[in-house]
Amino acid sequence: MPSLHLDGITKQFSRHTALHDLSLTVRDGEIFTLLGPSGCGKSTTLWSIAGLHRPDSGSIAFGDRVVFDHGRVNVEPEDRNCGVVFQSYAIWPHMSVAENVGYPLKLRRTPAARRDRRVREVLELVELGDHALKYPHQLSGGQQQRVALARALAHPPDMLLLDEPFSNLDAKLRDRSRQWLKALQSQVGVTTVFVTHDQDEALSFSDRVAVMNRGRVHQVGTPEEIYRYPADLFVADFVGTANLLPAEVVAADGTRARVRVEGIGTPLDVPHTDKRLGTAKVSVRPENIHIHRAGDGTGTAPDRLTVPVEGRAYLGDHHRYSIRIGGTPVAVTTTRPVDGAELTISLSPEDIRIFPVESDPYEENPHAPVH
Amino acid sequence: MSDTRLRPPPAVAPPPTRGPRRRLLSTTASHYLLWAAALLVVVGPIVPVVAASLWSAPLYDGGGHPTWDNFHSLVTDRGWWTAVLNSVLFAALNTAGSILVGVACAVLLTRTDVPGRRVLTTFLLIPIALPGLVLIIGWAAMWTPAGFASSWLETNTFLVMPVNLYSIPGMAMVAMSVASPTVFLLCRGTLLSIDPALEDAARTLGAGPLRSLFSISLPLLRPAITNAALLVFALSMEVLGLPLILGFSSRINLISTYLYDHWVNDAEQGLVSAGAVFLLIAVSGLLVLRNRLVGDVARFTTTTGKPTGVRILQLGRARWLLAAAVALFLLVFVVVPLAGVLLAAFTSILSPFISPWSVLTLDNFTAVLDNPLYTDSIINSLLIAGVGGALTTIVIAVLSVIAHRSRFRFRGSLQQGMLWPRMMPALVTGMAFFWSFALLDRSGAIRAGLWGIGIAFAVRSLALGYSAFYPALAGIGADLDNAARTSGATWWTAMRTIVLRLVAPAMGASFVLLFVAMLNDAEPAVFLVTDETPVLGLTMLQLAATSFGGTVAALGVIQMVITLVVLGAGRALLGVRPRA
Repeated sequence: MPSLHLDGITKQFSRHTALHDLSLTVRDGEIFTLLGPSGCGKSTTLWSIAGLHRPDSGSIAFGDRVVFDHGRVNVEPEDRNCGVVFQSYAIWPHMSVAENVGYPLKLRRTPAARRDRRVREVLELVELGDHALKYPHQLSGGQQQRVALARALAHPPDMLLLDEPFSNLDAKLRDRSRQWLKALQSQVGVTTVFVTHDQDEALSFSDRVAVMNRGRVHQVGTPEEIYRYPADLFVADFVGTANLLPAEVVAADGTRARVRVEGIGTPLDVPHTDKRLGTAKVSVRPENIHIHRAGDGTGTAPDRLTVPVEGRAYLGDHHRYSIRIGGTPVAVTTTRPVDGAELTISLSPEDIRIFPVESDPYEENPHAPVH
Repeated sequence: MSDTRLRPPPAVAPPPTRGPRRRLLSTTASHYLLWAAALLVVVGPIVPVVAASLWSAPLYDGGGHPTWDNFHSLVTDRGWWTAVLNSVLFAALNTAGSILVGVACAVLLTRTDVPGRRVLTTFLLIPIALPGLVLIIGWAAMWTPAGFASSWLETNTFLVMPVNLYSIPGMAMVAMSVASPTVFLLCRGTLLSIDPALEDAARTLGAGPLRSLFSISLPLLRPAITNAALLVFALSMEVLGLPLILGFSSRINLISTYLYDHWVNDAEQGLVSAGAVFLLIAVSGLLVLRNRLVGDVARFTTTTGKPTGVRILQLGRARWLLAAAVALFLLVFVVVPLAGVLLAAFTSILSPFISPWSVLTLDNFTAVLDNPLYTDSIINSLLIAGVGGALTTIVIAVLSVIAHRSRFRFRGSLQQGMLWPRMMPALVTGMAFFWSFALLDRSGAIRAGLWGIGIAFAVRSLALGYSAFYPALAGIGADLDNAARTSGATWWTAMRTIVLRLVAPAMGASFVLLFVAMLNDAEPAVFLVTDETPVLGLTMLQLAATSFGGTVAALGVIQMVITLVVLGAGRALLGVRPRA
């Protein structure tokens, strides 16, 4: 299977720029996710790869095969050999399941016997072997999704493109489909580009994730890198929940920094690679705020903070408390409930990320490191 | 799913990938070709009309020079200005009357508890489904001063028919029977689509039911009324059949009959072309104005709303009175004329002094079937409607998918191109093709066969077919053809195997409407018809212009029966509905 290279892709719609000079490399056989809020350009990117959108400039190559090059080369979608699963599944209602799956083979003039064999095989692969003669309206949503997948894998494709394929399934089924599709993908080994706005999906499904906003890539990395070491405020805020607190960096040597967080008395010594001083924001995940319970020992250490609980919510597998640090509203989560009107908390420096304040968090950060 | 063990990956080697298919013609090139052909046929013919109006000799004669003479003689002809005045008067009367009746019926029959609403609605809509000429023939047989119903009233009651049909108000009255249901449909659509919560809100604030109807829903109807008024006015300006049958013999000329007369009897082709240019500008100007006001596609959406949630206004005893008024209107305007056609067709003589039952006969039909002119007309029209309708349906489908499903650069102009012929007066369409054939086809081969008239009728009906087809096309998600493209289908293959397959029922509905329209169309044929190519609509028109004998009524009955059978089949199989 080829790798995928996007280089300097730009796409302008009548008013706004959908893609700014976008460059990405998807490795052979991996699941690569484009994650971002709606309108961030992730779908435009996917359709540019499929050939259904025509970028204004840049180049796209499948391995060594250039499929788009500044408009000089623009391979038609039918000649790109992609398999696409659409958000709506786009299963043709006038064709049976077998006809849907056999369509790409028919177009490639595969002899009937081989075609039938391949259709049966692919349907077996997606566990729909018994449904070959049914029509789409006789299938459930999950089954339709698998028909769409079987059709996308039939020819077989050089590249599998998935446009939010789980969004029409209910929560339980979505989770199972994700695991199932991930296993299937690793078996087939096809290079896969996956588009979603759902961060859970991105984190659980992908080998690597590109977080996008306003037509730019903010960070590319493994799910863990993205979650634990967000490159900028946007990524920190968009992926998972982050409490952002105003702070000031008072000393920094390129490996660690001393940062004074508003509302916390003692400065914290935080791992940090930047040397810039001055105003910053720190982010800390709600589950990384440590809650000290009565009988925890040690009494009041200087880094601890006791604050009133302003709101509480029970979310099934965890509890969430709303508090304030300094003047900033902060969410804290824990699996064990805490009684009482106050919460004693502390921040662990290792879980804190510092971001120099440049502009508002939803502006793109041109210095975002790319892993 | 996740609990079953995954099977090993496919063992068979994937089918060999082939290079890009070699195509006879690239998709883009084929789009350009079809686009150019469509514009040539749809817009091209207008050029020679304008040219002919500015040229001193008929274009096919050769020689001549550019001149304003045609326009000069037009504007200095008093007959022309009388005709313009008459047309405006006729259009104004027809518009005013139809708006009054149409809006009243829309409110009464959708929003109140008037008894018998369904039956009354059905009768009101009959004239839209019927060929226009049939109703006129019926009016002529019954309500002219010597007509059956007028004389019967005079002899047997103290009532008289107050309006002379051979006058402009009389013609406007006849036109109202077709225009009122058009207004009705446009207004009913709006009334049904108004959110009942709007009136409910007024009710909760203390307005009575009648008051909330008048202060909330009727003002919301204003755009629909403007729309309908402009439409009716524009169409009244170009109508030919009615003034030819009722006005011509009394020397009342409208613009259309003026042009017809000078073409057929005086052969003043330059003058008529100049008049046609004037008519074209006036009518398309009105329709462009209307599109500006209401939006282009508004006319071409189905005017059937969902009848759920409509609040019914209780009228008390007045409802019986109002129902009687509507019923009386329908009796005079629809039932009696239709009965007139049937009576005239099945009797040897229609007179109030002889019981029709005593003179029942099939002679009129025998006369029709024995006359080769009439049988040829029927066969020709069926051919044009059947073959032409089918071909036009395919053309509309192909042009529509290019206009709406491709990335073709000029796709927007194709949609406009398909709607545009609706703005051209039928007479101008006919004349446009006459000049085009005269110039491009000197041998006369196209005009000698049915193709000439067929093409003119087809262009004329493009917008109608498109309006039936487009909503279904728009309802098919773009993902479906994108999925085919990414599976490896070329654009044409994707259209052929996916999109057109899925819109097949809409193509059927489009065909039914085209069949009926092309079967009954007459005006464009005025300039194109030859002795070998009579068509039903024009033959009837010419016959009716000279006499209202049983023969023309019999032809009318035949036309009506074919139309109703086709529409009925269309409705049963494909859910076709009449359109405004």
